[in-house]
Amino acid sequence: MTRMFKDVGQDADDEKGMTYQKLDKGRNGSKRNPAADPLGPNSEIGRKLRQYYDELISEEVPDRFSQLLNQLQQQEQQGSTTKED
Amino acid sequence: MSASPSFRDGLLAAVPTLRAFAVSLAKNADRADDLVQETLVKAWDKQDSFQPGTNLKAWLFTILRNEFYSQMRKRRREVEDSDGSITARLSIHPAQEGNSDLNDFRRALALLPEDQREAIILIGASGFSYEEAAEICGCAVGTIKSRVSRARSRLQEILSISGEGDFGPDAITAQVTNSAAVA
Repeated sequence: MTRMFKDVGQDADDEKGMTYQKLDKGRNGSKRNPAADPLGPNSEIGRKLRQYYDELISEEVPDRFSQLLNQLQQQEQQGSTTKED
Repeated sequence: MSASPSFRDGLLAAVPTLRAFAVSLAKNADRADDLVQETLVKAWDKQDSFQPGTNLKAWLFTILRNEFYSQMRKRRREVEDSDGSITARLSIHPAQEGNSDLNDFRRALALLPEDQREAIILIGASGFSYEEAAEICGCAVGTIKSRVSRARSRLQEILSISGEGDFGPDAITAQVTNSAAVA
């Protein structure tokens, strides 16, 4: 996980410390030309893919996830207070 | 400790898209929710290794994906050939015709190999750049590009076949399907 965004390109080795800048450039640089984008708005596959995914995303989220996060947070807070005692 | 509430909120906000990605990988809603749960616990445990300001969603997707593949390896070791992809292939059936377009698409997506399926989801649906997707999958940008392109051709191929009104690539399957539809 610490390797996040390191292997951006081979030539990144030349300029250490430039990685983030390069990545930014890469991201904005891939700003998609809609006509050339094989999964863009003109592509039927692209449209279906987003439709499929949007439907999944809009499903109701079960309570278990917010409960879990509350629990994790409580445990952490309790842990830190017992340490202080 | 002061960063915790916003980290918690960040995780919670990512749950819908994590679930969508998990379902796409696991092809099973229950397994997907277990994956998401496992991802949240892992993310919480190593929140110190997350660098604020970097992409939380990409970081979470990486954790989820790693979890999925390690579970799958475990499963493969446990049960030699009940692989799931074979089952999926068999369960793709023309019988559910008359259902929406999206069902055809779902079935077609399930036919893709995992590496192609995850690539086309990350790029075409989750909104990641090729660079981010490569980072998530731990491979080269070019690899992601070629997986996406193969996935796209394969989907087009599958969908245009099933869109013709009959299903099989060979005449016999087509005949059976047609007569079943008539009967």
